[in-house]
Amino acid sequence: MAKLKAPPEIDLERLNEIVSEHARKRWALIPLVQEVQAEFGFIPPRVVPIIANKLHLFPSEVQGVVSFYEQLYTEPRGRNIVRVCRGTACHVRGGKAILKLVKRQLELEENETSEDLEYTLETVACLGVCALSPTMVINNQVCGHMNPKKVKELFKREGEG
Amino acid sequence: MDRQTVFVCQGTGCLSSGSQAVYDALKLEVEKLEIPCVKIDFTGCHGFCEQGPIVIVEPRGIFYTRVQAEDVPEIAEAHLQNGTPVQRLFYRDPVSGKAIPHYREVNFYQKQQRVILQNCGHINPEKIEQALESGRYGALKKALLKMTPAGVIDEIKKAGLRGRGGAGFPTALKWEFCSNAPGSKKYVICNADEGDPGAFMDRSILEADPHAVIEGLALAGYAVGADEGYIYIRAEYPLAVKRLRLALKQAGEKGLLGENILDSGFNFTIKIKEGAGSFVCGEETALIASIESRRGMPRPRPPFPAQSGLDGRPTVINNVKSLAAVSAIIGRGAEWFSSMGTEKSKGTVVFALTGKVANSGLVEVPAGTPLSTIVFDIGGGIQRGKKFKAVQTGGPSGGCIPAQHMDTPVEFENLSRLGSIMGSGGMVVLDESTCMVEIARYFLSFTQSESCGKCTPCRLGTRQMLEILTRITQGRGRDSDIEALLNIAKTVKEGSLCGLGQTCPNPVLTTLQYFREEYEAHIKEKKCPAAVCDALMISPCQHTCPVGIDVPRYLDAISREEFLEAAEIIRERNPFPAICGRICHHPCELRCRRGELDDSLAIRALKRFVTDWYFDNIDKIPPPEPFTVLKPQKVAVVGAGPCGLSCAYFLARMGYSVTVFEALPVGGGMLSVALPEFRLPDQVIQKEIEYIKKRGVEIKYNSPVNINFTVDDLKKSGYDAVFIAAGAQKSQQIGIPGEVEDLEGFYYGLRFLRDVKIGKPVRVGKKVIVIGGGNVALDTARTAVRLGAEDVEIFYRRNREEMPVSELEYEEAVTEGVRFNFLVSPTRIVSSNWKATGLQCIKMELGEPGKDGRRRPIPLAGTEFFVEADAVFASVGQAPDLSFLPPDSALERSRLETLAVDENRLSTNVSGVFAGGDFVTGPGMVIEAITAGRRGALAIDKHFKGDPARVLIYDQRKDVLPLGIAEGEEEHLDRELEEETWKPQYRPQVPRLQAEERKRSFKETELSYSGAEAVQESKRCLRCDLEI
Repeated sequence: MAKLKAPPEIDLERLNEIVSEHARKRWALIPLVQEVQAEFGFIPPRVVPIIANKLHLFPSEVQGVVSFYEQLYTEPRGRNIVRVCRGTACHVRGGKAILKLVKRQLELEENETSEDLEYTLETVACLGVCALSPTMVINNQVCGHMNPKKVKELFKREGEG
Repeated sequence: MDRQTVFVCQGTGCLSSGSQAVYDALKLEVEKLEIPCVKIDFTGCHGFCEQGPIVIVEPRGIFYTRVQAEDVPEIAEAHLQNGTPVQRLFYRDPVSGKAIPHYREVNFYQKQQRVILQNCGHINPEKIEQALESGRYGALKKALLKMTPAGVIDEIKKAGLRGRGGAGFPTALKWEFCSNAPGSKKYVICNADEGDPGAFMDRSILEADPHAVIEGLALAGYAVGADEGYIYIRAEYPLAVKRLRLALKQAGEKGLLGENILDSGFNFTIKIKEGAGSFVCGEETALIASIESRRGMPRPRPPFPAQSGLDGRPTVINNVKSLAAVSAIIGRGAEWFSSMGTEKSKGTVVFALTGKVANSGLVEVPAGTPLSTIVFDIGGGIQRGKKFKAVQTGGPSGGCIPAQHMDTPVEFENLSRLGSIMGSGGMVVLDESTCMVEIARYFLSFTQSESCGKCTPCRLGTRQMLEILTRITQGRGRDSDIEALLNIAKTVKEGSLCGLGQTCPNPVLTTLQYFREEYEAHIKEKKCPAAVCDALMISPCQHTCPVGIDVPRYLDAISREEFLEAAEIIRERNPFPAICGRICHHPCELRCRRGELDDSLAIRALKRFVTDWYFDNIDKIPPPEPFTVLKPQKVAVVGAGPCGLSCAYFLARMGYSVTVFEALPVGGGMLSVALPEFRLPDQVIQKEIEYIKKRGVEIKYNSPVNINFTVDDLKKSGYDAVFIAAGAQKSQQIGIPGEVEDLEGFYYGLRFLRDVKIGKPVRVGKKVIVIGGGNVALDTARTAVRLGAEDVEIFYRRNREEMPVSELEYEEAVTEGVRFNFLVSPTRIVSSNWKATGLQCIKMELGEPGKDGRRRPIPLAGTEFFVEADAVFASVGQAPDLSFLPPDSALERSRLETLAVDENRLSTNVSGVFAGGDFVTGPGMVIEAITAGRRGALAIDKHFKGDPARVLIYDQRKDVLPLGIAEGEEEHLDRELEEETWKPQYRPQVPRLQAEERKRSFKETELSYSGAEAVQESKRCLRCDLEI
């Protein structure tokens, strides 16, 4: 778990801008929180009442939506999001072993972020690149045909980069 | 020069393999070399990502695979400039190894019929002009200007299109419901939330041909009367989102979307909604909830979305593929579409073929194509020569279909009948090294985590099933688990609200239906037949070895040149290492993990090396001591074959006094009687038996147990238990006219081999026919060669793939001149004057697969033929000979004329009498006989102790002490590991006798590794037993 000294500063002005923009549209909540997440890296719990207010929803409704979807995050995440695929094709071709190695390399469990906020490790049920299994993706860079050597090289490079 | 266009694939797969760099490099290089009339363009996903980055040069259709930026200068100069394609980049057929330059001839593409995928990989998806050129929006134009909405629905109805999202509901019907629903505001939605793991065709279509989907959606809107459309797409597909947004913009600019499209008065706009990571949002009511920014939880239906959907309005939801098909149907006509496929499943179906298959990628075929065509013809069969096990269709909602149903034509109804579903089209191929219990657990873990939690059966049921399956894979299965799973599965299926819950038990149900024995092995024997479940095993080789030899440890001993230690490790579990080192069928090697990298360890050959060394140096080694007799009970073993002698050995080791009764003057059973000298020298057998005798086992030869001295008599003479291991040496009859054993020139193979082995003179003549395809048949044929036959032919009723013999043996037979005639069956043994003159035969063809997955041969009428021969041998199998038991013996027989015996404890119905090996199971492999011997010993021991528990044969590990690493050596080790190469290292060839020399003598054909070779080979072992 990422241990922070103090919650990060949120630019409330910018937040209000985003909320106002979306508030005019229909069914705005999910695209709104997705943009908040794109801007701040996550959805700070503090913004829930603000959003609820502007969209005329109960805070529990907003919270309910945010907590339902796997890709809406309420905690800061690392600079590099590492997603290892656990889809069927990847599983059959050794995806479990790749995940084990990545966990060991990054010293993280699933859904954990490193203390220095450099990496977040997640698994995804399928990346849709099944023909290159086993696969993983770092930010938007897909890495196919993974093997132990590639795992090592990938994170060595990232670390040095 | 003709104008050439180079298409570089820029689908997600190829991009990740470096195709952007290839594209950029090509552009630069062509400019640099100033090659005229060449255009460099990019396309979307071909659906053959494994071979990427893919580059196609039109108009010749040259297909390059695995292209990297470094290859570009060569392509530019040799091909584009000088017209000579670059051969080394051609596609290589995984089965034949042949290079195929033209993509139209590549099996993978040639056997497909790409309708929905027709543009994928052939047009640039970011240039609407190319889509227009290929015909997109022609259908929309036709519909808007020449057809009515009802006419459009009618056309789709005539085409018989069924939804390609998974459920297969007739599309036209859904549209009709929506169109007829009251209200003027309606919606159409494209479901692009392709959540099924293993499916990526929707992604490919969106990245490669987005206009197909846009047009399809617009057509749907026109048909039902909607002016607004949504495309709900998963967030995990960023490239598809990007291309879609661009395509929408370009379509708008061309007046193909928006107000008054093509002056028809039809308004239609499309918005994109991105998902936020929830599999269940692929379900239509959950999807609608998600668009409305609510929690993605399904709701009960009726009302169906066609009546009341998005915002309570009539809504149609169609899958990406369905919409692409709509575009094709309106464009080319319903008749054309419905001419493909079967009666109830019209048109083509798209599959994502992945898993252990050689050609992984997107496959589109007419519905009704047999599964075997898809997997073996188009898919190229299983990688690494492993055996096919099952195909998982339909993602986590689907089921596993085993080999026996491989000929099933793929269509909606057939798949449901087998317990699976068509689903999203995902098709994952599983081979013999896949554990079916683990697969069921895997799918459950997926559906359990994606269950929205709304309804109790799904929420709790998935958790329960997952818990049970996890326990089973960890060796904590209980006898009641299978029943429990079936019960919970039924409840979840019947009580769940949406498709996720209703179908998530399918993987469990189908694996239980077709692979129940795997579950039972995990629960009862704590064994994973595929050697996958880590918690049950120490290393896959040891686990797969029926007798459980600690392979990595003895390989390690060899690597340290401690050959005596290695021999002793083997003998902990197997008293016949020299024999197994020569003839074992080595199941361990098939599971060796090193085999996934380059070549599995030559475990059998290494075992042979160790034992040869042992016997060569026997004078320098302290002789083996007899085991101390610690217990009062005495045991009698009937039969001094591998099973009987193993039982005796292990009993002696446990401290019992044992006597073996053997009818023949020699020990070894089937081994000494049936195995020819050139495969297993008699001397080797005798030495092994000597070893066992030295360990304190008493063997009485020429002491048959029969009507004069029965099993009862044995017990009366003071033996507290009897183990019957009399083997299976009665030859099976073929059952054809003319089959008379006394006929001169007609022999049963087994009898013939025995006669030769004991030195009886046998004349075979010049022309010999051997009927059969197993080890005995091959041995018979090769022996005939050595006795002077000039023309030896084997007639087998199946084909090469079905022959239960190793590659090695087959090759040796061929090298020695044996000819093979496959798919032939004898119908009559022709004789004259009590002498065989030849064989009447008929040709066979392979029919439907039977329950074991093997195709049954059926005779082809009218293909009878006669072959002359001097000698005919029949080797079609063996059976146990129970004739030595008196007819009034209390011992119960099974239906198959063998003894009825408890599978686990090997006990008969008479207390104290046990039986095992070939005698009970029929002919089997030597290592299985040895295992049965050990099992018998353990069972007898339990019997004496009054212990009713099951016999459990676990893998056992000796503690391993870590060697200290000296200071400063760590760096050295690291570097060694770095250099430890990823270059493949194959096992050294085992030396063999030259073919000419072989044909004339009975000398052993296979020789041993040298000491240096053995040590080097043993170092390739990955020491899976040390995995943390």
